[in-house]
Amino acid sequence: MRIAFTVNGVPREVDAPPLRRLLDILRDDLGLTGTKEGCGEGECGACSVLLDGALVQSCLVPAVQLSGCRIITIESLGSQTAPDPVQQGFLDEGAVQCGFCIPGMVLATHALLARNPKPNEEAIRAGLSGNICRCTGYERIVRAVQRAAESALPSTPIAKAVAATTARPQAAQGSVVHSPTTLEEALIVLRTSATGGAADGTGDRAADGAAETLSGLTILAGGTDLMLPGAQASPATGSVLDLSRVAGLAGVCIHKDIIELGSSTTVATLADNPDVDRYLPALATAARLFGAPAIRNRATLGGNLAGASPAADLPPALLALDAIVVLASASGRRDTPLDVYFTGYRQTVRRLDELIIAVRVTLPAPDTRQAFFKAGTRRAQSIARASVAGAARVDASGTLRSVRLAAGSVAPMPILLRETMRLLEGRVLDAKLIEEADRLAAAEITPIEDVRSNVAYRRFVTGRLVARFLREYCRP
Amino acid sequence: MAGTEDETTAGGVPRIVGTSPVRTDGWEKVSGQAMFIADLPLADAWIGGTLRSPVPRGRLRGIRRDPAFDWSRVSVVTAADLPGPNTVAMIREDHPVLAAEEVRFVAEAVALVAAPDPETLRAAIAAISLDIEGLPAVLTMEDALDGRIVIWGTSNILAEYCVSRGDVAAALHDADLVVEGEYRTGYQEHLYIETNGLVAIPHDGGAIEIVGSLQCPFYVRNALARGLALSPEQVIVRQVATGGAFGGKEDFPSVLAMHAAVLAQRCGRPVRMIYDRTEDIRATTKRHPSIVRHRTGVRRDGTIVGAEIDIVFDGGAYTTLSPVVLSRGILHAGGAYRIPAASIRGRAVATNTPPNGAFRGFGVPQTMFAIERQIDRIAATLGLDPLQVRRKNLLRTGDILPYGQVLEEDVGAEAVLERVVEISGYEAWHGKVGRSGASDGHGVSPVAVDGRGDSPRARDEQDGRSLARSGRRVRRGLGLSLFHHGSGFTGAGEDKIAGRVHVRLVPGPAGDADGVYEVLVSSTEMGQGAATVLCQIAAETLGVPLERVSMPLPDTSVVPDSGPTVASRTTMIVGRILVDACHDLAQRLTDARVAGERGPVTGKAVYQPTPGLAWDEVAYHGDAYKAYAWGADVVEVEVDEDTLEVSPVRAWAVVEIGKAVHPVLAAGQVEGGTLQGFGWACLEEIKSSGGRFLNDRMATYIVPTALDAPPITVEIIELPHPRGPLGAKGLGELPIDGPAPAFAAAVTDALGLFPCELPITPERLLALQDGPPTDLASAAESP
Repeated sequence: MRIAFTVNGVPREVDAPPLRRLLDILRDDLGLTGTKEGCGEGECGACSVLLDGALVQSCLVPAVQLSGCRIITIESLGSQTAPDPVQQGFLDEGAVQCGFCIPGMVLATHALLARNPKPNEEAIRAGLSGNICRCTGYERIVRAVQRAAESALPSTPIAKAVAATTARPQAAQGSVVHSPTTLEEALIVLRTSATGGAADGTGDRAADGAAETLSGLTILAGGTDLMLPGAQASPATGSVLDLSRVAGLAGVCIHKDIIELGSSTTVATLADNPDVDRYLPALATAARLFGAPAIRNRATLGGNLAGASPAADLPPALLALDAIVVLASASGRRDTPLDVYFTGYRQTVRRLDELIIAVRVTLPAPDTRQAFFKAGTRRAQSIARASVAGAARVDASGTLRSVRLAAGSVAPMPILLRETMRLLEGRVLDAKLIEEADRLAAAEITPIEDVRSNVAYRRFVTGRLVARFLREYCRP
Repeated sequence: MAGTEDETTAGGVPRIVGTSPVRTDGWEKVSGQAMFIADLPLADAWIGGTLRSPVPRGRLRGIRRDPAFDWSRVSVVTAADLPGPNTVAMIREDHPVLAAEEVRFVAEAVALVAAPDPETLRAAIAAISLDIEGLPAVLTMEDALDGRIVIWGTSNILAEYCVSRGDVAAALHDADLVVEGEYRTGYQEHLYIETNGLVAIPHDGGAIEIVGSLQCPFYVRNALARGLALSPEQVIVRQVATGGAFGGKEDFPSVLAMHAAVLAQRCGRPVRMIYDRTEDIRATTKRHPSIVRHRTGVRRDGTIVGAEIDIVFDGGAYTTLSPVVLSRGILHAGGAYRIPAASIRGRAVATNTPPNGAFRGFGVPQTMFAIERQIDRIAATLGLDPLQVRRKNLLRTGDILPYGQVLEEDVGAEAVLERVVEISGYEAWHGKVGRSGASDGHGVSPVAVDGRGDSPRARDEQDGRSLARSGRRVRRGLGLSLFHHGSGFTGAGEDKIAGRVHVRLVPGPAGDADGVYEVLVSSTEMGQGAATVLCQIAAETLGVPLERVSMPLPDTSVVPDSGPTVASRTTMIVGRILVDACHDLAQRLTDARVAGERGPVTGKAVYQPTPGLAWDEVAYHGDAYKAYAWGADVVEVEVDEDTLEVSPVRAWAVVEIGKAVHPVLAAGQVEGGTLQGFGWACLEEIKSSGGRFLNDRMATYIVPTALDAPPITVEIIELPHPRGPLGAKGLGELPIDGPAPAFAAAVTDALGLFPCELPITPERLLALQDGPPTDLASAAESP
């Protein structure tokens, strides 16, 4: 398909298959080799660029979503005689060693400073947490960012791109590419193509973005799962339904006592939105612990639920909050409680002709205690060894009401800890009860040993995180 | 130019060594203009790919090509098609270019394919099938030693060395106590962000050119000359910008270059081979897993009187560099301590796993982890403070190492230890001196309670780095390590290499006054800063501004063989030869200009053996290293009691390296090596199933992000060494030797558990916590 966009302010047009990686377009089609490939799966950040001002990993961005976009790469920054302040900071602080990660680091720094011009050290480390450096220990990179933050950032191309984000023109239409702008069109595409075959989420990024393959149709939202190597059975021949231009699917809104989260809402939005933070802090926490900035900018709520990974970060929080999944098809809509939505390993009740369009949560009562904990593989770009979310009301007498506990990475799918919930419901919390809940939660799950953890630890930590929720959040 | 002698060089320009100018390759790297191997435009190049063994061991009965595939579209090479001997020449010649009769590890290369595009390549590889009859495999060091299945030589032993000094049996007999411990470490993958990759370009008459991401151009040249049956001059190897190496591009590029070269010769055009991340992790070398057992005789006051140390490294299926990795591990196994009587045995064993090779530290991190944990164990057993035991036993000038080397130069052990203790607040944290390091349940109480006055944590809060998570059950601990690293090749290695350096002056339009100086060496810039540091040494020696000195990327047809860029040898050894070459240039320049010659002039020098140093390769005795650099680490960890996750939250590293040629780059080496060490200590793990690596992606091989890295405070102490250029010793590897044992000690301090195996994962800590109590006294026996 023919795709037009701008790179570093220059209009470009390329002919590319819909799922060709932006990384390859930049490097191979446009000869912009400053953007590097280190892993091909969104883990290392060497391929970071700015897409309409947002940091993204270009190995996870498909061509089909580029029409009308403004892309900024390392090549647009300063010159040797007048380096950009971030580049100058990296030079002055000795933050460069092998240099392979540095173009991505520089762009991640720009993205960070555009949002937070005076970040503290923790914010710097968080802002760069999706960019792996194996040489420096990050010490001097942190200092370089601090130094750059002290310089006034001039009106770089990045600042312009951030300021100039506008509605994007429609993607080129091809015989195998569907880029609908309305939900109705998208549902018709789905109805037409839903002719057998089971849902097949083949990517295994647990904290996934939005994408899946079904019966030859690739439903693409954020792409952070689907763009992984091997995630598409036949990238060359399958057809693509790109949801990124469908109006009305992104956003957070409150109607009466319901908070509705559109399925195309990014994880970054869930992490930053004040209403989510106020009413659904467990979900906000899960979103903040999800991936790293560039992944959060792309991954969507709908994709995380559609991928249905047992290790996904958002489902436990949403299960604890008793969320409803809104599924739409050309023939109507239905509301499905999340606790019956998942049916097995990467399987859900969603039919092939259906799309997740939103998640609804009844606003929790003001005295609801909620929390999300993740025992991950590290502090960012982390997949859960186990995760636990809890929500409960505690009345004046200290009695627990409406207790909901959920866990990830401890069963074939995200689950409610029903036995532990039953144990706790209506009881007054004391040390003995916490211990019982710890033991019961550890016992009722069905974890496996895999590359990330083992059975004994998953039982242990699930029990302990349940106990932590009770101990730290549920005291009268 | 004005200035005192201290501030200027002989040539009157300001001093350059000891300052920190912007690195010479800085701009090209921050601007994305540096050309890495994948960035080189090569319009007519084909892409090479590899078909690999799916099993750890088996008889290769056949390689079948699907007749339905159009094989005229691609080039295929199997062992039967090789132009020379089926060997990748390294220390031995046991590593085949391609498996011929037997496959010996999962991911061993069996067939090579070159194709014009990735799709054709994938299709061709998929159209080749292997007929392999599985054979029983040796997958663990225990199985290799057990010897029931022999896969290498007669006993699975790739290498064995012993070091002995004094009467160990008598020393242990007379000791107040003999403390025993066993320590294990796992794989470490280099995870350079740029994977292994290179291009082979065929030339007329069978000559071949290799351009790639690599550490040791002459290693590759020698391997290709042997494997392709060419003269060394028919092989040209050029390095391009290299995106990290850490030892991972020391020996392996010889394998990859052979593969690309035979494909290029077969298809008659350039062939590019760049591994994707998964292939790189599955097929290339790693740090050797290890088992180290200690028996240490001590007096009640903590004095070490004798030690028996037994070391086993997992070499994988072929020899690669295992003998020399093992050798260095053995020679550092006693740590930075005086051991009057020692018996050290080391064996590298063969297993049906991918061959392990060079990784920063080169055997030392494994044995240093063991001795440092053993010192902690001795302290705990005797009820002494780990710091006191270190102070009592640390090496001082004049002491003798287990292999007989007398430490005649300044020993920096005490200086680094005392300085790191001071800047970290280690003693204040641990309260009164002399308490046990492990068994009195002193792990720090929940964060909410902090009565530790000027503890590191109190300072953190003043610094505004909020590390406490309110209400969390978190324990903190502080751990210490002391370590050293020999500079340059072991024993007579540098004499054998006899490294050579050229420095060339190319006159400019105004003659010599605006001429440029080129440092011509085979040393490679791979991020560590060699190109900047060597130029600094040359500029300082020549008395010219740094801007007039450059170091071109090495090309074996242009530069002399200065030896490989390994073994912490570049600054000290190559830098020293470079000084001599600069002096030679000055002399030749004078002569040439007097004679009226106006063209370029080249100064040359070759490594000069140090008089008085002797190494007996057979007895494994003598002066193993020209110099030692010293280091001490303190790390503060935070342990989440609910999840048993351990994070390093602050670290201090003090090193003594003779002279920091470029203090900022030197500190960068310490910081980077320290974090790699913490990664190895707590995050980085490769699990296997049936000889197949499970953690073969960046999503599953977990290295530290910026959030996992602690702030690292580095201090450099300089005790100039007479054999280094301007006093400099080796630095690159030293920083990775100390973090893991310091981390383990901090975990012990925080939890009262005594981890003996890396990585220290939450799963392992749970097993320790649920296992029998760590009764360290039971680990000791009275003789």
